[in-house]
Amino acid sequence: MNDFDLVRKNLFRRKLRASLMIVSILIAFMIFGVLAGFYRAFNAGEDRAAADRMITVNKINFTQPMPIAYFNRVKSVEGVRQVTFANWFGGYYQDPKNFIMALAIEPNTYFDVYRSEFEVAPDQLQAFMRDRGSAVVGESLAQKWGWKIGDRIPLNSNIFSQKSGGHTWDLTIAGIVKGKAEHVDTNFLLFQYPYFDETRSFGKDTIGWMILQTTSPENNDRVAKAIDAMFANSTAETSTDTEKAFGKAFAAQFGNIALIVLLVVGAAFVTILMIVGNTMALSIRERTREIGVLKTLGFSGPRILTMVLGESVLLALLGGIPGLAIAALIAMALRNSLANVAPAFSVSPTIALQGLGLMIALGLITGIIPALNAMRLRIATALGRG
Amino acid sequence: MTAEHPMVRLAGVAKRFTKGKETISIFDHLDMAIPRGDFIAVMGPSGSGKTTLLNLLGGIDRADAGEISVADRRIDGLSEGELAAWRAANIGFIFQFYNLMPMLTAAQNVELPLLLTKLRSKERAARVQTALSVVGLADRMKHRPREMSGGQQQRVAIARAIVSDPNLLLCDEPTGDLDRQSADEILSILQLLNGELGKTIVMVTHDPAAANYAKRVLHLDKGRFVERELAA
Amino acid sequence: MRSLWLQVAAVTTINLKSIGQRRWLSLSTVIAIALVVIVLLAFLAMANGFQRTIAGSGADDIAIVLRAGSQAEINSTVSRDQVRLIEDGPGIARGSDGKPLISPELYLVVDGIKRSTKTKANLPLRGIGEQGSESRKGITITEGRMFNRGSNEVVVGKALLREFEGLDLGSTVSFGATRWNVVGIFESGGSVFESEIWADLNVVQSLFNRNNIVQTVRARLTGPAALNELKSYSDNDPRLKLDVKSEAAYFAEQASQTSDLIQKLGWPLAIAMALGAIAGALNTMYSSVASRATEIATLRAIGFGGFPAFVGTLAESLLLAAIGGLLGAAATYLIFDGVTASTLGGNFTQVVFDFKLSPWLIAEGVALALIVGLIGGLFPALRAARLPIVEGLYAN
Repeated sequence: MNDFDLVRKNLFRRKLRASLMIVSILIAFMIFGVLAGFYRAFNAGEDRAAADRMITVNKINFTQPMPIAYFNRVKSVEGVRQVTFANWFGGYYQDPKNFIMALAIEPNTYFDVYRSEFEVAPDQLQAFMRDRGSAVVGESLAQKWGWKIGDRIPLNSNIFSQKSGGHTWDLTIAGIVKGKAEHVDTNFLLFQYPYFDETRSFGKDTIGWMILQTTSPENNDRVAKAIDAMFANSTAETSTDTEKAFGKAFAAQFGNIALIVLLVVGAAFVTILMIVGNTMALSIRERTREIGVLKTLGFSGPRILTMVLGESVLLALLGGIPGLAIAALIAMALRNSLANVAPAFSVSPTIALQGLGLMIALGLITGIIPALNAMRLRIATALGRG
Repeated sequence: MTAEHPMVRLAGVAKRFTKGKETISIFDHLDMAIPRGDFIAVMGPSGSGKTTLLNLLGGIDRADAGEISVADRRIDGLSEGELAAWRAANIGFIFQFYNLMPMLTAAQNVELPLLLTKLRSKERAARVQTALSVVGLADRMKHRPREMSGGQQQRVAIARAIVSDPNLLLCDEPTGDLDRQSADEILSILQLLNGELGKTIVMVTHDPAAANYAKRVLHLDKGRFVERELAA
Repeated sequence: MRSLWLQVAAVTTINLKSIGQRRWLSLSTVIAIALVVIVLLAFLAMANGFQRTIAGSGADDIAIVLRAGSQAEINSTVSRDQVRLIEDGPGIARGSDGKPLISPELYLVVDGIKRSTKTKANLPLRGIGEQGSESRKGITITEGRMFNRGSNEVVVGKALLREFEGLDLGSTVSFGATRWNVVGIFESGGSVFESEIWADLNVVQSLFNRNNIVQTVRARLTGPAALNELKSYSDNDPRLKLDVKSEAAYFAEQASQTSDLIQKLGWPLAIAMALGAIAGALNTMYSSVASRATEIATLRAIGFGGFPAFVGTLAESLLLAAIGGLLGAAATYLIFDGVTASTLGGNFTQVVFDFKLSPWLIAEGVALALIVGLIGGLFPALRAARLPIVEGLYAN
C-alpha cells in the first residue's frame, strides 16, 4: 500500500457521497466542454481567418450589392495579389426549411484565394470550370444529403428568380470540396456566377462581396484605404476590412455570445466549487481523529496536506474527464444539426487541455482549506475529540 | 399475583449478531421475569448483553427466537408501527448521553412524547409542568440543553421518560456521564419514581454505587444471569 | 390523525431548527439551486422578451403582402403592377380622404454601430409609402416630427437609440454615400418597429438605386375578417403570386424561430445544472440525516413513527430548494429584467428587445427548484424513515 492507495480509499470510504460529487463535477465539465466547443466553432471564422485576406463590401451594408466592374478595378490595386467575389443566393433544397449555404462565385479565382482552406481534386475542378451549369459541394453538405458527383440538384432561391420564371436552378455536381484542416467548415454549395448572372431576373451585373488577398499583411491598411478611396463618392461606396475583423463584427451581431457562455460556465463552476468545497471540508472534519492517528504514526504535516489535496484533485479528475468525454459525444451528435451556426462543433484538444487545467485548479481550490487545517491539526486536539 | 403477572417476562430468548463472516451469540436461551414495581440494576462486563437486553425490552431491537411480554402483552410479534405506538404508551427511555434535542427547550423536549397522545396543548403543558416538577426543574422550562449541566439534562430526560406515565422505565447507564453528586441526585429521583409512583425500573450500569440504589442486582455474564438479593 | 400531524410538525420543526448546524452545506445547496434557476430564467426571460417584442408587433386587421415563398420581407419583391392590383383589392380600409390605407415599402439593410461592442451591425431602413404610419397601429412621434415627403429625412425607432450610436435627434447619418437628417423619434408600444429607421419610400428608392422597386405592401383592413377576402382575391388572380398574411401571423412566425432556439438552449443547460444541484442537495440531505441519526432514533425510541422522520427530512430539503428558487428568481429579476439586448432577427437585421420575466416564468423556475429539492430530499428522507433505531442511538 502506498499514499495513493490511502488517498483512493479515503475518497471512497463513503461511496455514495463520492459518487454524488463526481456526478456534479461531471456535469459542470460537460457544460464547460459543450459550451467551449460551441463557442470555438461559432467563432471559428475568426480563428481561421488568414492574416492577408480582406473583404470588400458595400459601405451601406454587406447585404447591399456593388457593380461587377469593381472586380477588375480592385485587381489592379497595388498590393493585391489575388481577388475573387461571391454573391449570396438564399438557397434551399426541396423545402424552405432546408437552408443551403449557396454562393455564386467567380470560378477562376475563388479556390486560389481560399487555397489554404479548401481543396478540390484537379480533374473535378476542371469539370466545374468547363460546365457552366455545374456546382461544387462541400464535403459535409454532400454527406448530409448523400449527394455524389454527377447528381443533378434542383436548388431553390428564396430571393432570386429565373428570367424564365420560377425560383429553381438545376445544377450538376462536378466536384467535392474538402477542408484542409480540422476546423474548416465545408457545409456549402458553390456554383458559377456567370451562369447565375445570365439567368436571374434582376440585379444583373452586381456582386455581393469581394475577397482579396494582399501581397503581405503589412499592406492590408494601405490596400483597404486605396480601394475605399477609389469608390468614394460613387453610388456604391465600399468598406474594406480584414477577414478577421469582418468575421468578428458578424459574430457580434448575434449578441454577446462570449458573455453568455462565460456566465453559464461560471454559474456551473461556482455551484460545484461550493458543493465540493463544503463536502471536502465536512469529510476532513469527520476524519480529524484518524488524521491525528496518522500524525502519531509519524506522517508529517506536509505529507498529510499532499494527501488531502491529492484526494480533492483525484475527485475533480474522476468527474471532469468523463464529463469532457460526454461533452465530446454531445458535440459529435449535434454537429450536423448545428452545422449552419457552429460548423465543425467539437471538443478540441485545446479545450480538453483547458478542461484538465480547470480540474486541477478545482481540486486544489476545494481541497486547500481542509488540507491546511489537517496539516496544522494538533495531535492532542485530534485525539481528544469524540 | 406478581409472580403470575410479572411486568416483564422473557422465555427462551435468543439474540445473535452477524459481523462480517462472524456470528456472535449474545443470548442462547434467556428466561427471566421482572415483577411489577421492581427496581433492577443489571451489571456485567462489556459485551455481556446488558444493552441488548434493554433494547429487546424496549422493542427497539428484535430477538431471533423466544417470547417477550411486557405487562402481559407479547411484543415479539408486533410490526414496526405497532411497536412505536406500544413504546409511546408503555416505555420510558433514559440514555447515558441524555439524547435531548439541542434546538428545543427543556419543556419542548419533555412535551415530545405527548405529541403521540390525544392530549390538547393545555393538558400537555400541565403534564410537562408536573413532570419537570418531579425532577425539580420547574424553573428551567425555557432553557435549552446546552444551557444546562449534565445532571440537569439527565433530569430533563427523566421527565421526558415519565411524562406519558409509562409502566416501565429503561435506563442505559443513566449516570455514566455524570459526577458523583449529580449521579446521586439522578439515582434518588429513580428511587423516588419506583417507591412513590410504583414505576418498574430496569437500569443497566457499570457503577456498583449506582446499583446500590436498586432493589435487586442482576449480574449478566455471557448471556446468563447470576442473581444476588440485596437488603432493601 | 391529530397525533400524526403533531408528530410531523414536531419533527419538521426539529429539522428546520437544525439547519443552522449545517449552515455552510445548506447555504451551498441554496446557492446552487439559485444559480440553476438564474440560468434558466435568464434564458427564458430572453426568449420571452424577444417573443413579446416581435409577436407584439402584429395586428390582426393589418395585412402584409409578400412575394409567394419569400418568408421574410428582406427576400420579397413586389412589382408596381401588383401594388396597383392590391390597391384595388377588397377589404382595405380607407382614410378620411377616401384613399386606401396601403403602404408599399422597401426594406434595406444598412450599417449601424452597436454601442456595446462598437462593431457594425445590420439595421433596417424602411422606405414607407404615404400611408405608412396610418397603415400601422400605435405609432407616435415622441420627439421631433415626421419626415417630410420627398426629403432626405428619417425618423428613428426609440429602441435603436439605446443600442446604437449616432442616431440622436438632429444628427446626420450616412449610409454609404447618402446623408440623412434625423428629424424625429417614434414609439410603437415596444414593438419591433422601434428597431427600425423610416424614411420616404420614393427618396429611398432613388438614393439607393432601387427605382420603382417595392418589397412588401402593408394594408390596413376594414376588420380581421377582411383578410380572407383579400387573400382569395390575390389567390384568384394569376398576376398576383403573393402571400397575404395578417401582420400578427407574419410576426408570430418570425418570433418563434429565434425564441424557440433560445429556449432550446436554456432548458437543457438548466436541466444539466439541475442534475448537478440534485447531487449537491442529496449530499446535503444525507449529511443532515447522518448528523441527526441519534435524534431520529431517540424520537423513534420514544414512540414516534417513521413517517414523521420522512416528512421532516423532505420538508427541510424542499424549504432549502424553495429559498434557492425564490432567491434565484429575485436575482434574475434584479439583474436581468428589463436589460436591453439585440440580436439578428428573421429579417437579418437587429431586433432590440428587453429581457422580460413573467409570473409564469418565475413559477417555472421555482418549480424546477422544488423538483431539485424533492429528488434531493426523497432518498435521504427514506433513509431517515428506515434508520434502524439501535444503530441510530449509538451512531455518535
